[in-house]
Amino acid sequence: MAAQGGVAFQEKVSRLVSRQNGKPVLKPSRALALGDTVSNRNPKKREATCITEISVLMACWKQNNFVDSLCCNETNAFYTCVAKAQAAMKNNSGQSNIQGGRLPPKQATILLKRYPNQRSEI
Amino acid sequence: MAASLSGLLKPWTPRVFLVRWSRYNPYYLEPEVRKEAYSQPESELSAEEKEQRELKMIRPIKAAASGVTSSVFSDPVLSKFINMMMEHGNKVLAREIMTQTLENIKKKQVEKYHKAPEGQKEEIECNPYTIFHQALKNCQPVVGLESIRKGGKIYQVPIPLSDKRRSFLAMKWLITECRDNKHRRTHMYEKLSQEVMSAFVHEGNVIRKKNELHKMAESNRAYAHYRWW
Repeated sequence: MAAQGGVAFQEKVSRLVSRQNGKPVLKPSRALALGDTVSNRNPKKREATCITEISVLMACWKQNNFVDSLCCNETNAFYTCVAKAQAAMKNNSGQSNIQGGRLPPKQATILLKRYPNQRSEI
Repeated sequence: MAASLSGLLKPWTPRVFLVRWSRYNPYYLEPEVRKEAYSQPESELSAEEKEQRELKMIRPIKAAASGVTSSVFSDPVLSKFINMMMEHGNKVLAREIMTQTLENIKKKQVEKYHKAPEGQKEEIECNPYTIFHQALKNCQPVVGLESIRKGGKIYQVPIPLSDKRRSFLAMKWLITECRDNKHRRTHMYEKLSQEVMSAFVHEGNVIRKKNELHKMAESNRAYAHYRWW
């Protein structure tokens, strides 16, 4: 898009910013250029994993006055649940890099840092 | 991310190699120290293991760290504990303390063994290594607490801990408890052996600290939903 009509695009932007044709349409407070980084926003609201396992374990603790050896079944169930949740997280993060229309914020930052804005003349 | 970046890096060594604090190019692979890995003929996971071996023949390998050995007596848990006890790089002293601790534990257990009546002799554990490992396992917390900010207030939320974190906490608690809360004129190996023996039977200050953590987590169980992972 911008690569095809580069010069025409710049002319349009300068027309929108100029004061010669009445009030300017755009009043940019910052430079109209891509930044060097993208902020790390977490768009998805994930929920806590293994809550049932934790509550079962804690009920067992309450019953047995916090003696660990009597709660080993619940403890092992909790550990397996945690391991499964970790594996699921890893798989999901591997998929989100490929799917979706956008790059995830970390990958976008890496890409932008390879071509940073010129701060001084070389 | 690191995997994709290391695909771009060529195998290079810098012209000036720092002796201390040297950081290897991620292209270098970890060395395999265990002898059992080299004595397996062809009967492993054929695809993955063979690929790994092919890769290791081509890629450069890091030098093994000086704390790692391929002897039968090397124990990663014990090495980690010795490193955590070490101060100012005095590994000799830390190892000495550790061997004295194990010797002390063995002496006490053998004394108990000889004094015990015939029926109870089999129940007394004399191997100091098993006692040490079991004591560390008994000291490990199951859940930990994390401060999470929600709506301006900070809550202590119970979270699951990784295996590494749990073993680290157990070792750290053991060392700090021996350093701080004991009489100053006793030797470290004496303090450590006392604490390890009491942790083996679920007594002592470290077990108490673990139980207090569990009680705090249990009292805060309503906040468990504030986690998002």
